Amino acid sequence: MKRSRVVGGLLLAALASLYGCAGQRSEVALEKASADFQKVKEDSNVLRAAPKDVIRAGESLARADRLSTYWGSGEDVLHYAYLSQRYSEIARQHSNQVLNEERAAKLELERQRLQLALRESKLLSVQQQGKWLEEQIMEMATTQTDRGLVMTLGDVLFDTGEAELKNSANRVVLKIVQFLQLNPKRVVRIEGYTDSTGGKQENLKLSRDRAQAVADVLVDLGIDEKRIQVEGYGDEFPVDVNATERGRAQNRRVEIVFSDEKGQLGASR
Amino acid sequence: MTIRPLFAALAVLALAGCAADPAPNEQIRLTEQALEQARAVGATADEVPELKLAEEKFERAKSNMTDQSYKKARMRAEQAELDARLAEAKVLTLKSEEQLNVLNTRIARLRKQLREDAQ
Repeated sequence: MKRSRVVGGLLLAALASLYGCAGQRSEVALEKASADFQKVKEDSNVLRAAPKDVIRAGESLARADRLSTYWGSGEDVLHYAYLSQRYSEIARQHSNQVLNEERAAKLELERQRLQLALRESKLLSVQQQGKWLEEQIMEMATTQTDRGLVMTLGDVLFDTGEAELKNSANRVVLKIVQFLQLNPKRVVRIEGYTDSTGGKQENLKLSRDRAQAVADVLVDLGIDEKRIQVEGYGDEFPVDVNATERGRAQNRRVEIVFSDEKGQLGASR
Repeated sequence: MTIRPLFAALAVLALAGCAADPAPNEQIRLTEQALEQARAVGATADEVPELKLAEEKFERAKSNMTDQSYKKARMRAEQAELDARLAEAKVLTLKSEEQLNVLNTRIARLRKQLREDAQ
């Protein structure tokens, strides 16, 4: 009898200490959960972004709170305090996500605005470049004649008697290509001329071949064939006398006649 | 002699009280769904500790189910569900942060180009 009492007493003491332990742990958990809940509850962003999770955090906390008044419910208190804390944290994360997304939407608008501005500025610079190129083309031996804007490629760009364009012509040819790309409506007529040395037929052929050589390079560099006319005039229409070497050199030439901006080209000779 | 049946009755009642916890089938389903959703947004146990926790708790909940310890099963499954949902929320928040960083980088680049163009 006496022994069983002692055992009973020991058992009671053990139970009490167990309860005490769980009770202390659950009290700490309850406090933490309560503090977390206070923070999300008072944050208007969290309330706006995740109202349901905040409510559930509150409900779980209330449940843990209620259970903590019952004897031997330490595990349950811990459980509901844990759930409450999780809900608070989920609510906080949702809120951060929503805030980030809202900021991203604003930044996206800003990005589009800047992109548009950049495109405009690039376009402007291309237009300025185009204007600059046009000025350069004008400067490069172009003359405004009754035939329109005419650019002369001199004799030095070809070998004697040959139709092939020399490498030294690259720069000027590239400029013409760029100019035509920036002015997509303009078309050109490429006209070949020789001096009066040699036979009429040969001169006619050479002048045509030289003009065609220039046209070929333009096509190779991406200019549509339809925008290019080719003519050979042989020794006709000299710009200087054929009696002197200097005069003859002037007469050996390829002329590029540019149309106006609308693509109107003066009549051929 | 008269007291003994009373104890027996109490014991039976207590046992019945334990056994009265129904099998938390619905909770198990919810938890499974939450885990799937977290994985669907790209959460992995290696990178998101909450998902690892959720998976472990869910495994234990399932073995509690086979042992018919339904209360434990329910509690573990409930915790696992919220662990998984937190994992999902964290991944989504991280993604939104990354998106902000990308946008900020692009904007900085655009501004730089605009400044250079203006010169």
